[in-house]
Amino acid sequence: MSENSINHFEQCIKCTVCTAYCPVLGVNPAFPGPKQAGPDGERLRLKDKFYYDPSLKYCLNCKRCEVSCPSGVKIADIIQSARRRFNDDTPDLRDRVLANTDFMGKMARPFAPLVNKVVSLRPVKKVMDVMMDIEQERTFPKYRSKGFDAIFRSDFAPYQNRFPRHVAFFRGCSTEFQHPETGIAFVRLMNAVGIGVRLLDEKCCGVALMANGLWHHAEKNARHNVKVFSEAVAGGLPVVAVSSTCAFTMRDEYPGVLEVDNASVRESITLAEKFLFEQVDSGRVKLVFRKDYASRIAYHIPCHMEKLGWSIFTKELLQMAPSISLKVLDSNCCGMAGTYGFKKENYPYSQAIGRPLFEQIKSLSPDVVCCECETCKWQIEASTGYTVLNPVVILAEALDIEATCAANGGFVKA
Amino acid sequence: MIDVAPEYDVIIIGGGITGAGTARDCAMRGLRTLLIERGDIATGATGRNHGLLHSGARYAVTDRESAAECIKENLILKKIARHCVDDTSGFFLTLPDDDLDYQKTFVKACQNAGIKAEVIDPEEARRAEPSVNPAIIGAVRVPDGSVDPFRLCSSNIVDAKLHGAHVRTYTEVIRLQVRQDTVEGVEAVDLRSGEKLSFRGRVIVNACGIWGHHIASLAGVNVGMFPAKGALLVFAHRVNNIVLNRCRKPANADILVPGDTVCVIGTTSDRVRYEECDHLSVTPEEVDLLLGEGMKLAPVLAQTRVLRAYAGVRPLVSADNDPSGRNISRGIVCIDHEKRDGLKGFVTITGGKLMTYRLMAEQATDMVCRKLHRDIACQTATTPLPGSEKGGIEKVLKKVWPTPTLTQKALLGRAGALAGSLPQEEEAGGSDLVCECEQVSVSEVDAALKHLDVHTLTDLRRRTRVGMGTCQGELCSCRAAARLARKASDPALARTQARAFIEERWRGIVPVAWGETLREASFTEWVYAEVLGLDDTL
Amino acid sequence: MRFDTVLIGGGLSSLVCGILLQREGKKCLMISAGQNALHFSSGAFGLLGCMPDGTPVDAPFEAFSALAPSHPYRKIGRTLCESYADAAVPFFASCGIPLQGFGRRNGFRLTASGSFKRAWLAFQDVPFFSSDDALDGKRALIVTLDGFLDFYPEMLSDGLRRRGVESRCVSVHLSCLDALRGGPGEMRSVGIARILNRETNWKQFGREVRALLDGEDLVIVPEVFGLEDRIVNEWIAEMIPAQVLYVGTMPPSVSGIRVQRLLKNAFIQAGGTFLMGDTACDPEWAPDGTVRCIHTANLGAPGIEADSFVYAGGHLFGRGIESHPDGFSDPVFGLDVVCDADRASWVERGFFQAQPYMGYGIGTDERFRGLKDGRTVENLYVAGAQLAGCNSLQEGSGAGVAVMSAMHIAADILKRTENVGE
Repeated sequence: MSENSINHFEQCIKCTVCTAYCPVLGVNPAFPGPKQAGPDGERLRLKDKFYYDPSLKYCLNCKRCEVSCPSGVKIADIIQSARRRFNDDTPDLRDRVLANTDFMGKMARPFAPLVNKVVSLRPVKKVMDVMMDIEQERTFPKYRSKGFDAIFRSDFAPYQNRFPRHVAFFRGCSTEFQHPETGIAFVRLMNAVGIGVRLLDEKCCGVALMANGLWHHAEKNARHNVKVFSEAVAGGLPVVAVSSTCAFTMRDEYPGVLEVDNASVRESITLAEKFLFEQVDSGRVKLVFRKDYASRIAYHIPCHMEKLGWSIFTKELLQMAPSISLKVLDSNCCGMAGTYGFKKENYPYSQAIGRPLFEQIKSLSPDVVCCECETCKWQIEASTGYTVLNPVVILAEALDIEATCAANGGFVKA
Repeated sequence: MIDVAPEYDVIIIGGGITGAGTARDCAMRGLRTLLIERGDIATGATGRNHGLLHSGARYAVTDRESAAECIKENLILKKIARHCVDDTSGFFLTLPDDDLDYQKTFVKACQNAGIKAEVIDPEEARRAEPSVNPAIIGAVRVPDGSVDPFRLCSSNIVDAKLHGAHVRTYTEVIRLQVRQDTVEGVEAVDLRSGEKLSFRGRVIVNACGIWGHHIASLAGVNVGMFPAKGALLVFAHRVNNIVLNRCRKPANADILVPGDTVCVIGTTSDRVRYEECDHLSVTPEEVDLLLGEGMKLAPVLAQTRVLRAYAGVRPLVSADNDPSGRNISRGIVCIDHEKRDGLKGFVTITGGKLMTYRLMAEQATDMVCRKLHRDIACQTATTPLPGSEKGGIEKVLKKVWPTPTLTQKALLGRAGALAGSLPQEEEAGGSDLVCECEQVSVSEVDAALKHLDVHTLTDLRRRTRVGMGTCQGELCSCRAAARLARKASDPALARTQARAFIEERWRGIVPVAWGETLREASFTEWVYAEVLGLDDTL
Repeated sequence: MRFDTVLIGGGLSSLVCGILLQREGKKCLMISAGQNALHFSSGAFGLLGCMPDGTPVDAPFEAFSALAPSHPYRKIGRTLCESYADAAVPFFASCGIPLQGFGRRNGFRLTASGSFKRAWLAFQDVPFFSSDDALDGKRALIVTLDGFLDFYPEMLSDGLRRRGVESRCVSVHLSCLDALRGGPGEMRSVGIARILNRETNWKQFGREVRALLDGEDLVIVPEVFGLEDRIVNEWIAEMIPAQVLYVGTMPPSVSGIRVQRLLKNAFIQAGGTFLMGDTACDPEWAPDGTVRCIHTANLGAPGIEADSFVYAGGHLFGRGIESHPDGFSDPVFGLDVVCDADRASWVERGFFQAQPYMGYGIGTDERFRGLKDGRTVENLYVAGAQLAGCNSLQEGSGAGVAVMSAMHIAADILKRTENVGE
């Protein structure tokens, strides 16, 4: 039976390893655990949808069960797919608000200062808590008045044609609406090594839609993105993302959960760190680092990065910088899992899951924490007070841009 | 309890579905009833078949009488045994190799037997049941379904007991007491204690299936049987939700039945000797044949894990020299030995099939009543079995478990409305799981141990599905054995029962030991031998 | 990407080999498709518990000469095996894993069913004795936890009684476990161990047991302590005025998981790169028949190059070999699997009989280099459970073969590169 067998859940031989690595099982006794919710439950659900268990919603979809599974069972895919097929509950307003990251971002942008202010006000948080079950301890990430797209068009787009080769940049919702600096760092990095950047007519990867039960919408986005990527790939452009969750979702969740065929583009969907490392490793690109940049960095590997198996690239890149001292944190889930931690009913579990990670960060007291996922960033920043940066931002800062440009025929506008 | 009242109106020998059904019928008609079974209930052909709730369509062309009986009983079982039946419907598929003309003959024969048979477009069949071979050229929908024979048999026993019947399992009849021309009772031995027992009965019913030949010989009469072995394979999950049949003359491996969490392909049919009936094994050739033919019905079986293999013996009554037994009637044979052999007080009920057990029981009980000069009408066709009352499950969902857990749902599926009366929350820890694959809780196990004549883990499996899932006892046998030992106040049972159960599971795995099935067995072996030390002799 | 050695598999054998190489300055990459058999550890390492014919073995090294020449121990040779064995205890200690043992003689581990199994080394806190009569005449208190179904006090008690060890079974109720028990999830050793790791909880356990003790010499408890750190076990032992024995039970194994983590950490600390949850695939072959590079499911193209490859993918469980209706195969390199051709002879009808399939594995030359179509692949070593020539479950030799073959291969790789250097 191959890994891709449609019956891969039968490869489960009940060894129970997944139950030892599920972060939810340790803190939320209402969750039946990956083995029961996944392959065990699937046998019953195949009999009748009566056997669908609503407690599957407690699954974070962190994929740690799959990473630990010695049998190649796509446990979390089975759980998410069961939610998609059998859960009849219509998502409520709260879930819709949390799910529609791009729509909400667009709506909020014109009023960004006001929205940021309003949603951070105690009474408003209280109202959201009571009316919408959005945890009042949470602080919403701030929306920016000027999105990445606009910044790119005015500041970078005009000179991207001068590069001999290009990548298609999947910026993702958080870069667009909350953290344009990640996108700017990415463009600077690429331009410095002589690679131009093109933007895609992208839609949200759909991860938050899936988590909140908006399957149809997620599927629509997936189909749109695959189509857009096909065009880019046909033009010889790899699709590069800066969020590990976006990259993971588009590579693996599209076929595994949404049943959207992405076979023609999957191998071309990559992450900035993987892309850059391969460029360096193959000798096409040379990185020159600043001598005066010293930083003690704690690297948190987001769950979906663990699943992608690509943290090796980030580690190798960061270690190329001579004055970065890198400590890889123990492999733990931060507990946020996208929008999961925003929900009132999940908040205590979210915090309990993340506790070992928070404690390790505090005990190390690094200059900065680094990770590829924006929701991990929000959770860690809120729970530890430490600044969390995308590796792309750190690399762009650590790089001697001028020398790198010189070594690669690059160009970065000051 | 029964030693004080050793005289019965009727003693039924055999705890298969026929015996269980007859015990229920007799008890419901007010007869003092004893059922004796040498092993556990449902151990013979009852528990070793497809679990197909025949519409009768399969016999429509070749055996019209059986076909008509089947459809009648089919409709009855859907009412009286709701929790044992899965009303899936069935397809008769014509593959490119098959003759499409047969479909016409088939449909006509179904109509003649009163079976609704609707020709549908192959495309519609593929849509309704995605596992069917996409190459099919014809499809007919019939009212087939599946039935859980263990549950059905156990429900009959439970109801018989509720109506006052006595049931003795693990009791073997060693002699029939015959005085002059009358059978007056039986001598038996309690196989667990070794105790010799004797019971007097006014009528003795031989309901032993293929072993009825032997019981008849104890009475000095002959019942010529034709032991026809049928081998089957169990797959680890349901690949189909509609019964799939080949639309051709009955042949090997042409039915795929979804039953509970698994599906079953079968069967073969070969005559075996009487002596082999207690030690059947499935050969590699049979396995390959079943797999090969099964894939023609549902190609996905090629990628599906085979859980185990088993074989049963059909209690056919000899008719001619047909070497396979395929052409022998599945009709009911109810013999009044007084009429046939001049032996009073002895009745043999055999032939027939799982589907028609109730009718067989009715005919046998009618005969018993005539002998006892009692005139009481049969009510088994209209009285639901315990747990199958109309609207019963809905009532439990409304009143007892408005938001049922998965374990409670699984229990409802197995026990029907009786689930609601289980002391689920009374005892702390009742919801702890014994069997994870099939979601069997401690309280369900305890209830079975207490009320359902369970003496071994294998008995427990037949009552609850413990150990029937993909792990085949890996996680649950020690848990269940410890529970059984505690209930029996015999600590030694924990080890011996766990070992015996895992051995029993292994025997069914041996013929299909490859792939994930062998991989899982190797893991179980590591845990049981190396970690737990259950291989050591103490 | 380029490494000195790529190791496929993340279990005992691979980790031992990888740590040894990495500590000698070799740049190693380990690819592990999920977690491994250490998660189901019995708490002890077997070397040779009995001969293939079932005869028990007390002095394993002396018994080597009676093994078949194709047995991995025979390929290494007794003298080298002994020196590896001597090196093993300090090696594991250097990884933070102190082990119990009785030199070159087998010890006896008490199992959860009350039998004694021969083994070579055991983790700390595992009941491990120099003879199987060590408990004779003693009285034991067997303690389980309410709701924990994976430990069977009656079975253990019955087993001990047959050896003349009297025992009493009790079950303690710990309120800290109520939530775990009430939920739909399973109550497993690891889940319990997570909770009992907290001070208030293990202290409550200690107090309850102390109160129940009635002059017994021994307290036997399931192994549900010491997931993060076995210091908890010591603290509990301090609280209870009797010898406390922790008996391993159904998977997952708490001490096995701890040991796996310590070994993995030792590998990473030495500078090794560990890919968890990734699968090796699509090797590329050099014209001389050696392995040029390997790919993984996650990393995709380009390939990972190395001088040598160590293949320690495990037996059927680790999917280092796979079985099909018509035979056995190696899923990654297509190496030769030594097995019976006829399906009917793969298994015995008795579950606890020596199962022939357990002895199947990949064929190698004397230096454990894999054979492909009968020819040695010069830079591809095979280690551990994947090796043909021994029925490790029946012999009780799984860990021994894993450790010995790993050490032997590491030595061979180091020797080889030294020679190249010269």
